[in-house]
Amino acid sequence: MEAWGVIVGLAIATFGIRLSGVLLGERLPTTGPWARGLQALPGCLIASLVAVLLQNGGLVEWLAGAVALGVALFTRNLPLTMAAGIGAVYILRQTGFSVY
Amino acid sequence: MAVKDILPLAAGVAIYGLAFGVLATQANLDSLQVGIMGATVFAGAAQILAVERLVAGAGAIAALVAAVAINLRLLLVTASVREIFTGRPWWQRALGAHMATDENWALMLATRAQGKDVGYWYLVGGGACLLLTWLVATVTGALFAANIPSPAALGMDFAFTAAFIAVARSLWRGAPDLLPWVTAVLLVLILTSLKILDSAWALVAGGIGGAAVAALTGSDTSTDKAAR
Repeated sequence: MEAWGVIVGLAIATFGIRLSGVLLGERLPTTGPWARGLQALPGCLIASLVAVLLQNGGLVEWLAGAVALGVALFTRNLPLTMAAGIGAVYILRQTGFSVY
Repeated sequence: MAVKDILPLAAGVAIYGLAFGVLATQANLDSLQVGIMGATVFAGAAQILAVERLVAGAGAIAALVAAVAINLRLLLVTASVREIFTGRPWWQRALGAHMATDENWALMLATRAQGKDVGYWYLVGGGACLLLTWLVATVTGALFAANIPSPAALGMDFAFTAAFIAVARSLWRGAPDLLPWVTAVLLVLILTSLKILDSAWALVAGGIGGAAVAALTGSDTSTDKAAR
């Protein structure tokens, strides 16, 4: 019962959140400060997401993030950046960096 | 095009799906519940958090509140691509909303930043691939829980962080982005390290804070490129 409550509640709430974003976006102005803010939102949200993920990790994740950023800057290639980040985390953990 | 582009991200989703399936069995969810949850919630981080809270004995309400909080960012995700929804019938808006996840949203933005004209169907197509992957992987994880190692053992837990770094690089438009992005990152780091907000709320605060700086300081000409 507990599980069904969480599943149904989370499904309704999540769809409500997603649809609210669509409806809110449609109603905000298409010029001026609101439009500038919404245009800048994707980049700011991605940057925040990366910051949260690295912060939730530790030294290993920050170092691997730097490696991934280096690869991203030079290649602009998604699979390659993912491979570099995963490889860096794996190697750093193998070499005992995870003790912090 | 969306299917081919989404493959590396779908691989990451598959790994997480297996891990979620394993965790879900520890919370006594059966494979039917895992499948229904995957199809109707379709938000990996929130599902993992909700089930982790259940396993930890936090109770249904606490699990629900934590998972909803982590999903608040999805409001910003769908609002930020409002132009792809304009003029569409209600069922397409509802479908597009449900199919919007971090991964296919970020991929759509990155593909646009390369100058390709992608929009609604690219998002929905990528989302459908991820949904199918998520369902197969989570149910498989639940069925074969005993035989599946943790993603962290292979460094795979870093897959999405690296993917979002690549997307951030694609989205970077130069000098006008500097102040908003620095604001967003600093807000997140300060709010989480001083424990003012937990990471779910800090993420939302960072996104809004950065966007607010862009709204107040920018000029319309500097943001034209993203206005497509």
